[in-house]
Amino acid sequence: MTKRKSNNGTELSDWFYRELFQQVPLNVAIIDKDYNIIKANDNFSDYFGNWKGQKCYKVYKNLDYPCVGCNARLTFEDGKVRVSDESGVDQHGKQAHYVVHLAPLRKRANSPVEYIVEMSRDVIETKNWQAEYQLLFERVPCYITVIDRNYKIIRANENFRDNFGDVVGRQCYEVYKKRKTRCPNCPARRTFRDGRVHHSDQVGIKKGGEKAHYLLTTAPLGRDTENIAHVIEISTDISHTKQLEMEIIEAERHAAVGQTVAGLAHSIKNILMGLEGGMYIVGKGLSKDDKEMLDQGWDMLKRNLNKTTSLVRDFLSFSKGRLPNLVMSDPNLLVGEIIQLYKEIAKQVGITLIAELDKKITNVPLDPSGIHTCLTNLVSNAIDACQMSDDREGIVQIKTADKKGVLSFTISDNGTGMDTEVKRKVFTTFFTTKGNQGTGLGLLTTRKIVKEHGGRISVHSKPGEGSYFTMAFPKKRLHALYEETGGEIAKRTN
Amino acid sequence: MKQKIILIVDDEPDVISYLSAILDEDDYGIHTADNAEDGLKRARELQPDLICLDIMMPQESGLSLYTKLRQDKRLTTTPVIIISGIESQQEFDFRRYVTDKNIPPPDRYIEKPIDVYEFVSVVDALTTSEGNESAGKRRQQGEIQ
Repeated sequence: MTKRKSNNGTELSDWFYRELFQQVPLNVAIIDKDYNIIKANDNFSDYFGNWKGQKCYKVYKNLDYPCVGCNARLTFEDGKVRVSDESGVDQHGKQAHYVVHLAPLRKRANSPVEYIVEMSRDVIETKNWQAEYQLLFERVPCYITVIDRNYKIIRANENFRDNFGDVVGRQCYEVYKKRKTRCPNCPARRTFRDGRVHHSDQVGIKKGGEKAHYLLTTAPLGRDTENIAHVIEISTDISHTKQLEMEIIEAERHAAVGQTVAGLAHSIKNILMGLEGGMYIVGKGLSKDDKEMLDQGWDMLKRNLNKTTSLVRDFLSFSKGRLPNLVMSDPNLLVGEIIQLYKEIAKQVGITLIAELDKKITNVPLDPSGIHTCLTNLVSNAIDACQMSDDREGIVQIKTADKKGVLSFTISDNGTGMDTEVKRKVFTTFFTTKGNQGTGLGLLTTRKIVKEHGGRISVHSKPGEGSYFTMAFPKKRLHALYEETGGEIAKRTN
Repeated sequence: MKQKIILIVDDEPDVISYLSAILDEDDYGIHTADNAEDGLKRARELQPDLICLDIMMPQESGLSLYTKLRQDKRLTTTPVIIISGIESQQEFDFRRYVTDKNIPPPDRYIEKPIDVYEFVSVVDALTTSEGNESAGKRRQQGEIQ
C-alpha cells in the first residue's frame, strides 16, 4: 500500500484521498487536455449522470462541441485558478445553475498543467431566491429607494420609477421634491447619523408634476449602526387618504356652519315667541285696562329684549378672532371683582359664594376683560346649577393656584352636576340646559378666550354631586404671548 | 257644556304665559307644567282634552314624554300639539322616530313663533266638534290678525 507523508509528518494512505474526493460536498470532476472527464465523484454522477468516456461539454451542457470562451482551455494555457457562473443541464435534462471552480493539476511546480479539477456547486435555489427578492422589491406596492451618503439614489423599485421617472444616479431631494438642496429635517440624514429607523410625513412632486403625500420610513442598510453606507427609504403613498381627509374636514365645516345657523335660528325663534307673547299680553292689558296684564306683558318684552342683547353680544364675542389684550394683572384681584359682582345675587337665591385665593400668586400677563367674561360665565353657570338642586344649601367656590408654572382658576359648585352626555356637549354651540335662560354660547366663548391665552379648560362632574371647571394657563406661554403681542413695547412706553 | 281641560308643557315661562293668555279668552281650564316629568304627572291626574307639548326641554325631552303618553292606556288618544322652535330637521327626526317605533303621530305640529289664528283654530278643532267657531268669532272681533 502506498504511503504518503503529510506536511506535519502524519502518514496518510490512498483510501484517505479517495474518501476525501468522494465526501467533499461538491460535484468534482477531473478533465484532461482533450476535455475528457477521466474521474468524477459520486456527487457529480448524481447531479450530471453518466460521464464515463464523455467530453465535459457534453456532460455539463449537452453540447457536441467545446463551449465558446471555455475557461478550462484558458487554465490549461496559463495555469490560473478560475471561478465562473454557468448554466447547463442536469442528468434529467433540466436547466441547472452552478458555480464552477477550476484549478490546475501539475505533477511538479512549474511543469505544464496536465489535468484540471472542476469543482461545481448547484446554485439554482439561490438563483430562485434572488429572483423572488427582485420581484418583491420591484412589485411591492410602495416606493423604495436606496441612497448612499451623498443622497444619490443607487436603486429604485418599479413603482417608484413609474411615478418619479428614471432616477438612479440622481439626488433623492431632486427626485422626490424637485429641490436643488437637501430637505430640512431630512429623515435619511438622521438615519445616517444615529443608525435608527425614522418616520415622517412628506409631500413630494411626481414626474407629471402632481403632488404626492407619502409616509416615509428610513432605515439603515446593513447590520452595523455606525458608518452606515446606505439608507433604504420606503414610502406609502397616502395622497388618496389625504384627499378623503380634506373632504371630511370640508363636510364637517359645512355641517358646523349649518348647525350654527340652525342653532341661531332656534334661539331667535324662542326670543321672537317671547316678544310676540309680550306684545299680545300688553295688547290685551291695554284693551281690558288691566294693569297686572300690562306689567306681565311689559316684563316679557323687557326680558326678551335683554335676551336679544345677550345673544348678539355672546355671538359677536364668540366670532371675534383676536389676540388677547394682555396686561400684567393680579389674578386674585380679578376673582375679587367677580365675588363683589355676584355675592349679592347669590345671597338672594340662598347660595354662598366663597373665594380661596393663593396669596403667593404674582402678577401675570392676562386679558382682564377676557378673564372677567370667563369667570362671569362659569360663576353664573355654577349658581344656576345650585339653584336647580333643591337638596342642600348651594356653595360656589372660586379658587386660584400657582403650581409648577401653571396658573389656574377653579370654579366649583355642589349643584346638580352633569351626566356624561351633558359633559360631552357643554362646549358645543347653542347647547344649553337652561331652557329660555341660556344662549348656549357662554362656555364656548369661555373656552375660546382660554385657548387665546394658550391655556385649557377642563370639566369634572358627577350628577347629583356638583361640577368643577378648571382654567389652566401655563405661565411660560402667557409671557411668550405677552412678548409676541407687543406687551413689552406697551410696558416700556408706560 | 263641560269645560275643556288643556295642559301646556313647556320649559319656557314666557311661552306658557303667552299660550295661557291666548287660550284664556275662551272657557278652557288651563294647566301648566315646566318639565316632562311634571307634565306626565299632571296629564295622568287631569286627563286633559288636549296637550300642548314642547320638544326641547332640559332633562327629559318632549319626545320622551310623548312616547310615554302614547303608551299610557288612559292618555293614548288624548290629542297632542307639538309646539316647538326647533328647525325642520328635528321635526323630521321626531316624525321618523314615531314612525320607526310604530307610535301614532301627534295631531299637529306648530312652529314657534306661533300664528295665533292657526293656534286657536287647531285647539278648537281638536277640542270641539264645532271646530273653528270660536276662532272665527274672535277674528270677527278683530282680536286675531
